Amino acid sequence: MRALCWEGVGKLKVRDVPEPTVRADGDIIVKVRASSVCGSDLHLINGFLPAMREGDILGHEFMGEVVETGPGVRRIAVGDRVVVGSVVACGGCWYCRTEQYSLCDNSNPQPVFTEKLWGHSPAGILGYSHAAGGYSGSHAEYVRVPFGDIGAFKVPDGVPDDSVVFASDALPTGWMAADFCGLTGGEVVAVWGAGGVGQMAARAAQLLGAERVIMVDRLPERLATAADRLGVETVNYAETDVLEALREMTAGRGPDACIEAVGMEAHDVGPAYAYDRAKQATRTQLDRPTSVRQAILAARKGGTVSIVGVYAGFVDKFPLGAAMNKALVLRMGQMHAQRYIPMLLERLVAGEIDPAYLATHPMSLEEGARGYEIFEKKQDGCLRTVLHPA
Amino acid sequence: MTTSKGARWALLGAATVTAVGVGRAVARRRHRHQPVKQDGWYVVRRGVTVDRPVEAVIGFWTDQERLDRALAEWATLERIDDEHWRCVARDDSGEGVEWRADITVTGPGRLSWQVTDGPEQQGTVELVTAPQGRGTEIRAELRYRSGPLRRVLGLAGDHEPDLRLRDTLRRVKSLIECGQIIETRRDPSGRGRMQERATDKVRERLSAGGRA
Repeated sequence: MRALCWEGVGKLKVRDVPEPTVRADGDIIVKVRASSVCGSDLHLINGFLPAMREGDILGHEFMGEVVETGPGVRRIAVGDRVVVGSVVACGGCWYCRTEQYSLCDNSNPQPVFTEKLWGHSPAGILGYSHAAGGYSGSHAEYVRVPFGDIGAFKVPDGVPDDSVVFASDALPTGWMAADFCGLTGGEVVAVWGAGGVGQMAARAAQLLGAERVIMVDRLPERLATAADRLGVETVNYAETDVLEALREMTAGRGPDACIEAVGMEAHDVGPAYAYDRAKQATRTQLDRPTSVRQAILAARKGGTVSIVGVYAGFVDKFPLGAAMNKALVLRMGQMHAQRYIPMLLERLVAGEIDPAYLATHPMSLEEGARGYEIFEKKQDGCLRTVLHPA
Repeated sequence: MTTSKGARWALLGAATVTAVGVGRAVARRRHRHQPVKQDGWYVVRRGVTVDRPVEAVIGFWTDQERLDRALAEWATLERIDDEHWRCVARDDSGEGVEWRADITVTGPGRLSWQVTDGPEQQGTVELVTAPQGRGTEIRAELRYRSGPLRRVLGLAGDHEPDLRLRDTLRRVKSLIECGQIIETRRDPSGRGRMQERATDKVRERLSAGGRA
C-alpha cells in the first residue's frame, strides 16, 4: 500500500509499504478515507520530538471504513464507517476505567523514553513517534487500530468524512480544553491559536456557557474565519499588545479562563521571542512557551489556564510567580478522545458543531508532502490539509 | 602578570572544586539507586499496581496459558503440586543456556523462588491490596549475585536481572488488565530490512525495564 513516511528532519515521501495485519484479538484494520494533518505533526517532522525513525508513517487524526476485525472485537464490525481516537487506550487499566484514556497504562510498548523524560509513560498515540509507542500512522491506505472496541466509534449517517475526521483529535482536544475551564455560564474565555484545535476550543467554550470568546493569533485570515464562523472577538498579537488588549476588553479583570492551543513552536514578536528561538535551535530548551507565558499573565486572579498545545520537555522563563501569586488553576494534558467522542458525534448530528470548514485543503495521499508544506507555511488560507488515500 | 597567574589559580581551583563536586554527586547518585548491596547480594525491590482485586491476580498466577504469555519465550512454568512449581528459563546472555528455579507458595498472596541450577538468584513476591480501591500492589524482591562488570554488560545488553524483573511486572500487569501485551514491532513502515533491524534495536532499548 502507499503511505506518507518521515524521511529525516523536514523530509516526507510517499512510499510503498507492507499492509498492516490483525495481530491481536482486539485489533481492527481501517481503510482510511480521510486523514488530517495536525500542528503537532510539525514538531515531529521538524525533529523537535527526537524519537522519529526514518520510514515511520505519520498521521493520527483520521476516519475510514473497517475492513477486518480481530476475533475479540464485539462492538465494531466490518463495513462500519468509523472515526478513531488518536490516543491508544486499553480499556482495562485504572486510567481507562476512570476515563483518563490518554494516561492509559498499557498502550505504550516503549515506555522508557517518556518515563525518563516525564517520570511516567502516558498512553501510546498512533503515528506519533517511538516515544508514543512506535505505532504506524494513518497517512496510509490502511491502518491497524489496536483495542478497536475502545478506540473506534461508528459514525452516524449524514455526517460527511471531512467533518467527522476532526472528531478524532482536534474536536475532542478543543472540547477538553474548554472542559478544563470549569465554565458555569457567563465567563470570558481567551483562546491562543486560531488553528483547528483553537477554533474547536472556542466553539466548545461557547457551548459550555462562555459569554464571550476572544481569539489570539497573528494570521488575519484565521482570525477572520473564526470571527465569521463562530462569532468570536479577535486580537492580532502582531499588531496589538495582547496583555493590554485583553485587560481592556475585560475592563481590567482579565479573562476568566485562558486556553492555550498553540504548543511548542509558538510564534511571537520582540526580543523575548528571538531569545526563545535561539535557545530552541541550540536545544537548550525543547519548547517555546511564548503563549503559555502570555496566558498566565493575562488570566484574571484566581482564573484558569488550560493548556492543550503540545509541549515535550523543558521551558525557560516560566512565570511560576504569576501563577502562584494570582492563585491560578493550571490544567493540561493530551485529550481523552474516547471519553468525548460519543458525545461529540451527537453534537455533530445535531449541527451544534460543524468542523467541516477546517478542511480547507483536501488532497490525495500522493500530495502529502506538499499538503504539509502548505499547512506549515499557512499558505493559501490553509487551516487543515486533509489527505484522502482511497 | 600577577593577574593572569591569579586568574589561572582561580580557574584551577574552580575546576578542582567542580570535578570533586561532580564526582561526589555521581557517587551519591549511584549510591541512592537500586540495587543495594547486601551481604554480597544485589537486592532490588520493584512493584507494580494492577487494577484488579488480589483474588483476580492470584487467579492469573494459576492460569497456565496467561502465565506462559507473561513469561514470553524465555521461561516455562511447570506445576508440581499446589505449593510447588518449577520454572525453566533461558538465559539470554548465555545464548540458550537453561536454568531452573523452584517456586514455593509461602502464604496467601505470597511466594518465594530460588534458582537451583543456574545463576545465583532468589526472590519473593507479595500481593497487597492497594489503597483507594486501586487494585493490587505486586511487590517483588529480587536478590542476585553479580559484579560491577557483569552489571554494566547486563545493562548494555538489556538482560540485567533488574530490567527483566521490571519487564515481567509490566507484562503481567498488561495481561491481567487488558488480556494482551501490545506490540508495534512489525507495524508497517517505509524502512528497508537493515533500517528495520536498527529500529528494532531502538525499540528494545525503549522497552527494556520500562513501566507504565
